[in-house]
Amino acid sequence: MTAVTDRPRHALPAVRHSVRATTTPAKLRLLLIGLVSLCLIWGVVAAWVVSQRASGANDVASTSETLSLDGQQIYRALSDADATAASAFLSGGLEPINGPPRYQADIALAAAHLESATAAAGHSAAAADLARLSAGLPVYTGEIQTARADNRLGYPLGAAYLREASNLMRGTLLPAARNISAEANVRLAGASGRATGLPLPLVLLVAAAIVGFALYCAQRWLFRRTHRRLNTGLVVASVAGLVSLLWLGIALGVARADLLQARTHGSTPVAALAQADIAALRARADESLTLIDAQGDDSFQADFVTVQHRLGPGPGTLLTDAVMAARGSPAADLAGVAAATATTWYGVHRTVRSLDDNGKHNQAILLVTGPGPGHSGTLFTRLDGSLFRAIAADQTVFQRHATAGSNAFIGLEVGVIVLALIMAAGCARGLTTRLAEYR
Amino acid sequence: MLLVVAAMTAWVVPGSAAVTTRAYLFPPAVARSTPPCDRTHSSLRPAGPPRVTPGSFMAKIRAHHRLIAGVSEYTYPFGFFNPLDGRVEGFEIDIVHAIAKAIFGNPNKVEFKAISDAQRIPEVQSGAVDIVAHTMTILCDRLKSVDFSTVYFHAGAQVLVLKNSPVKSLADLRGKKVCATTLSDSLGYIKTAHAIPVPVTNFTDCLMLLQQDDVAAISTDDNILAGLQAQDPWTKIVGKVFSSEPYGLAISKMHPDFVRFVNAVLQQMRTDGQWAADYRRWVGTRVPAPPPAKYKA
Repeated sequence: MTAVTDRPRHALPAVRHSVRATTTPAKLRLLLIGLVSLCLIWGVVAAWVVSQRASGANDVASTSETLSLDGQQIYRALSDADATAASAFLSGGLEPINGPPRYQADIALAAAHLESATAAAGHSAAAADLARLSAGLPVYTGEIQTARADNRLGYPLGAAYLREASNLMRGTLLPAARNISAEANVRLAGASGRATGLPLPLVLLVAAAIVGFALYCAQRWLFRRTHRRLNTGLVVASVAGLVSLLWLGIALGVARADLLQARTHGSTPVAALAQADIAALRARADESLTLIDAQGDDSFQADFVTVQHRLGPGPGTLLTDAVMAARGSPAADLAGVAAATATTWYGVHRTVRSLDDNGKHNQAILLVTGPGPGHSGTLFTRLDGSLFRAIAADQTVFQRHATAGSNAFIGLEVGVIVLALIMAAGCARGLTTRLAEYR
Repeated sequence: MLLVVAAMTAWVVPGSAAVTTRAYLFPPAVARSTPPCDRTHSSLRPAGPPRVTPGSFMAKIRAHHRLIAGVSEYTYPFGFFNPLDGRVEGFEIDIVHAIAKAIFGNPNKVEFKAISDAQRIPEVQSGAVDIVAHTMTILCDRLKSVDFSTVYFHAGAQVLVLKNSPVKSLADLRGKKVCATTLSDSLGYIKTAHAIPVPVTNFTDCLMLLQQDDVAAISTDDNILAGLQAQDPWTKIVGKVFSSEPYGLAISKMHPDFVRFVNAVLQQMRTDGQWAADYRRWVGTRVPAPPPAKYKA
């Protein structure tokens, strides 16, 4: 045993000697092949990382966010159309002066967003939901038109069509629109992760360290062997490597900062505000339907209360979450207005219910559909309008940062490839000059 | 079996509400589940003209400042929500107004609560409504749960189809989908005829399904079918009347004084011509004699 440990240390190099190049030219040749390969591998790795980041950033800025926003807009427009149709029916006699135009504008808006979403969705998971919407929307509008025609004749059949249409809306179309946004938000989170996550830059850093260390060792070894201070080729390769590293660092850093900004002050508050808006729209439709409902049960009022608890404001509710998410963004004030308005609205809604429960149906209807400042409809319009403008404000922030973030990658992929080729060429040139000295 | 019943009850021609001089044979769907009872001699005799006595249920209604009536908002022209003026109107609604007038001296002191067919008995039993005026047939089964007024309208079941349909009676609808409201006695007849019953909430839902070609026919009382036909002229009523449906106002068994009071109001309406005026306004210009009041022995 002791014999093994006491074996002379020079015995080991003797073994390695047989596999390593023994002469300086042979070593130079080996070094040439190694360095050129390393530079090329570096180029491939850097370009791959850049392409991953750039496609993530691009996906964030264009596809996912577009789809998510389209889904939200479709939901908004359809929900408003349904609430408008329901309250137009409620008013009896003449429809409210802005009833039909508002309904038609909603349907047109929904159709436009449906088209752009279908273009953006491609074969993603949202495609099935979009198909369901495309098929259901004409059925819905057909039923609403039949309801209006029957109402004009004074027949109760209109109310049956209205309820059927509303069931289609709430049971099929609105859930599909909500799915589109949800799908797109999952995709957005994925793309955002690819564009800002830390593992990819780490890969880059490790690769850069390996290449840099190899270049450094090669130059030190050459200096000791040949006693020449500088090897032009290797110096050029080192400089090109440094330039590409610097460019990568700045571009990735800038893009990451921009995309994180876009997320914190853009897509996160937008998603929270949109969720609150969707809940508010649902509660408003419930409010109208409680007054039409001839089932005699309280299902719409029960749904209103459920949605109200979810919407808030209050700890853990959608509105409070949205206010928190919007803090520091342009939407902050508007989100605050929305939260305050919601509380006032609930108060008026309680009055509506107590009027209706005490046989004052017509006064209840007036309070829901009337245009006065303290009326439920006015308050809801302020709530919905604040949320809508808040979404638009933070959406602008998102677009600005997301575009800046994806612009940081312009030219980078080609740049790192060209620089890697320069590095490889520099190494080749520097080492072949030395090799030539041995011929 | 059904044809026999149809033949036996065929003499109840639509609109001839006056022909109520003897007890009806029960349609099989109902007769099987209930012992025979006298449906038309089931109500309580009024003590005289309608009078609100202290301590009576009418006095309690007065104290609440309004009569609460469970009605349909979808049964044109008996009880329906008129979208043009935003009010509940109809033949039965006017009867409720007459009762309110007898209690308050003001026919408009009424709260109309829209309920579905299935809710009629529970709403009366729970006291959520004071009275139900909702095309409700007096049935022996129902007499166990609630009290009825005297008969104010006499209907009979028929079939409504699209104008281009070859169907001539319920017998032609074997294996086809036929619509009626949930828990209505019409559903029983549809099952008996071996058609596929499609239960919905209101009869307007049936008309919608018929218009969308989801059902082959609607089967219920002739007066309700006539109301549906008025809303869609591309429909027709076919076949003979195959059941007897005496309508009564449903009142809780807790308030026999109110049953007597309502019967007194109905008797007034029969004699002073208001029933006939009501009929002419809502049902048709060929006004029959009102169904005579019949009381328990």
